[in-house]
Amino acid sequence: MSVLETPRIIFCGNMSWDPIVTNNYEKFYDEDTSWTKFNRDETVEQFRQVAASSASVMRPPIGVGNWNPHGTHRSSFFDSEISGFDLGGGVGKDDSFVGSPVNFSGMLVDCEPYGSFSSQLFFDQISFGIDGGCRIFAPRKYRFTARYINFCRLPRPVYNFAASVASVIWQTSFAKSDGLRIDAYDSIALQALKAALDDDEVLGLTVQFNAYSTHYYGAETSSEIVGRERDLVNKLAGGGFQPNPARSSIVGVVGLWRKREPAHEPGDRAMLAVQKIINNKCPAKYVATAHARLEGNKLTVDLSNSISETDLQETKQNLGALTFFAEDPINGSQTKLGTIDYAQYARDAYRASAGIVTLQLDTNQAKAAETGNLQMSGADGTPYLSEQPFRAIPSDPNLYLNFGETRTTDVLVLNKGVPVGKGIKVAMGLDGLSVPQSSVALTNAEGIATFNVRGAKGQVQGFVLTPNSDGKEPASISTQITNYMYIRTYPGNDAIAELEPTWENVYKYCLSNWNAMAPCMDNWLDLKNEAQVKAHAPILKRLTDPANFESYRFMPVTRDMTQAERKLLYDFLDGDGRTSAELEAVPVEETVNQAELNRQMRQAK
Amino acid sequence: MIRLLWQAPETIEDVRNLVQTAIELEFSTLPPYLYAKFSIPEGKNAVAASRLDSIVREEMIHMCLACNILNAIGGNPAITPPTYPGPLPGDIGGSLIVYLYPFSKDAMKQGMDIETPVDPIEFPQLETRGATDASGSVTIGEYYAKLDAILKQLPANAWMTCRNQISDAQYFQGQIFPVNNYDDAHRAIDNIVSEGEGSPTAGNPLDFEDELAHYYRFEEVCRNQVLVKADNSVGYAWGEPLGVDWSAVYPAIADPESHDFSKEPLAAQAAQAACNTAFTTMVNELRRAFNGEPGRLGNAVRAMFDLRMAALHALITPLADGTSVAGPSFIYLDTKD
Repeated sequence: MSVLETPRIIFCGNMSWDPIVTNNYEKFYDEDTSWTKFNRDETVEQFRQVAASSASVMRPPIGVGNWNPHGTHRSSFFDSEISGFDLGGGVGKDDSFVGSPVNFSGMLVDCEPYGSFSSQLFFDQISFGIDGGCRIFAPRKYRFTARYINFCRLPRPVYNFAASVASVIWQTSFAKSDGLRIDAYDSIALQALKAALDDDEVLGLTVQFNAYSTHYYGAETSSEIVGRERDLVNKLAGGGFQPNPARSSIVGVVGLWRKREPAHEPGDRAMLAVQKIINNKCPAKYVATAHARLEGNKLTVDLSNSISETDLQETKQNLGALTFFAEDPINGSQTKLGTIDYAQYARDAYRASAGIVTLQLDTNQAKAAETGNLQMSGADGTPYLSEQPFRAIPSDPNLYLNFGETRTTDVLVLNKGVPVGKGIKVAMGLDGLSVPQSSVALTNAEGIATFNVRGAKGQVQGFVLTPNSDGKEPASISTQITNYMYIRTYPGNDAIAELEPTWENVYKYCLSNWNAMAPCMDNWLDLKNEAQVKAHAPILKRLTDPANFESYRFMPVTRDMTQAERKLLYDFLDGDGRTSAELEAVPVEETVNQAELNRQMRQAK
Repeated sequence: MIRLLWQAPETIEDVRNLVQTAIELEFSTLPPYLYAKFSIPEGKNAVAASRLDSIVREEMIHMCLACNILNAIGGNPAITPPTYPGPLPGDIGGSLIVYLYPFSKDAMKQGMDIETPVDPIEFPQLETRGATDASGSVTIGEYYAKLDAILKQLPANAWMTCRNQISDAQYFQGQIFPVNNYDDAHRAIDNIVSEGEGSPTAGNPLDFEDELAHYYRFEEVCRNQVLVKADNSVGYAWGEPLGVDWSAVYPAIADPESHDFSKEPLAAQAAQAACNTAFTTMVNELRRAFNGEPGRLGNAVRAMFDLRMAALHALITPLADGTSVAGPSFIYLDTKD
């Protein structure tokens, strides 16, 4: 992963998360049909009330923990700034770019609404620094993708709610040929980064950040949550717009994106977590998967997602000195590469470096690290990380298909962070089957295996991607261990496309779904108001246009409108602009055409 | 430049009145800034619109923080709708009459006048600005500095913990915070002044978050130039064009509050009525939110979005002349809450 190269820029701060979570629950949403589960003749308003009342986690069976029925999906950095840089000599802070604000706002959408493995951030741009000052301005090329979710980051008793235990690596990349701009001015760090972009091997920049220590309801401690949750239910009952965003701490880096490196997730050498999570129970000492890069005599390791916090002050777990080894894959002999002590991965160091540590190696160590498999152990000898040389990284981590659509999707196979050659077998196996069911493809000379995928049925499926397949692929996704991708196929509801484009049909078969799930839409457009929908036809068409699928403002934000529903909506919007009421009110004589009118005028003379 | 009257307080009630003036001042900046922003059609003048957008959001935050301060010292915020054209609250003798202008140079100059720092930085190419002064009068920044000094002198028992406070749990994460003591109030005032006029550090146009202060954001749009870093004595200079298109704006009349809509088409009257209804609801809900019912802030925000929708509709509803339109008048309908 190129953010492990230098130069790199480091940032830290906070992020708010404001997704609507009503569609996370089978009680309210069917992800196969992409449709709201209305009870019998339940209206949108009644559905909204039930969804809002279910925000109560304390009142089962009504409450399901639907903690944000009035969300907007907007997720933004706040109090975030450039905190340092590394030009190869360690983290520095003496640069005019340090302290500049980092501005980002994206829409958090899960490809699989029920699950937590397929989160994405759709956005338009990210800005480090301000216009006119030292700045990196990066228009989106790919959405941000969440991977390597660490469900053992924070012990559950410390903050016991929803995903507070988890941390996540978010990554995307920006092409230098696609509007990426660096205004370096007097910043040495930015000058170095800008110069590095001149290399033909460099495609642009990769931005990676780690989100951790997530709090809900604005509650500092989990003991406050019950009261806050009750407040939210009361606010929702009192009307208005009542979002309830969560918030996380973040640390991140901006680095180079080179050719043959994946855009969406780390592609450097993968040091996988060794300790097992059994029955969702985290071991007392757990280090999550890390990535490493060897350049000359420097081994750089990204521990941003790896070491747990132990309290709400974000104190890092003290595992003592952590030792890195290279293990000879043939004879098992180990070469010690170096040690980092607690101070190097404790909270302050973590925030300053974004969790990246660098080991200086001598020639023999560097050679051992190049050929051997990297390992990391604790002071007591407990093995925490072990390198898995082969990785299979999807080009489409979360793929959306129309019903009946056939696409190809590529998988890049890496061996120790470098693309393999031709002929490596890659398996793409359906997640969660007791009997593995896989497709297999071979890599080409660039290390890319191509799969044909077809949207045969409305559903969301996860697939485990296994490089160097020996027919014994893992049966299910492990976010720490396996590579994976998700495919969401929209249902085939073509009959809707053939319906008469009346307001009644459009609302019933298209807009009511959106209106039920997204009360926040009332802020922008009353989806049950025919006149308003008609009046905003051009904007609605632009925002729902599949060509704008990656856009921050794409609608519906959950990206679950089918082709047929869109056609029905467009047939309605493309009508003559009159509402149903206006059409009913048109007097018969007004329907005469120009020729008839001409004749009537003559007769009147 | 606005000059505010500063009267040294003698009682805690006097101090509350000074904070109340600050609340009214923050509130009264919103309609003129919003009028300019609403008048930019969707997809046009994106750079200017985003600058105005961020200024408006920060003014809303300033108002919330000022209400938090007043609540913390035992006051009860009054949300008093301003009228336009007219002076800003606390203004001495109407030194600055504020109008509702559509997006235009006049609107941006007015924004600069409202947000003028004590000593505006003169960047290369910048025209020299005549200093206005009146005996006993202060700029907004000076007003807040004096208020800060007074608040610092209050005894600890003048501060009430957790009294009617608005937090950032729902909106504006990281920017709204409860005020429970002088330190909190000082931080709030620091943020307000810094975002409006710039860092107190001489020669720095940036605020506490290293963003451009409001005054300079307005100036950028007004000049249609980006303020860029430069190797000169003030560290900045006027650089590339910002891309402002003064013609890409709805043909909105200025000061709709003074306009006689009884002679306008029914559709235009209805559009104004919808704006005023939404504005009135917003004011009423803000009153409740800042006086012990924080959950009502969500109702105020919904009304604010209703106002936005009503404004967008009004701005595409022709007046009788067939070409002009009118944005929201921001008239408070005198009904019971």
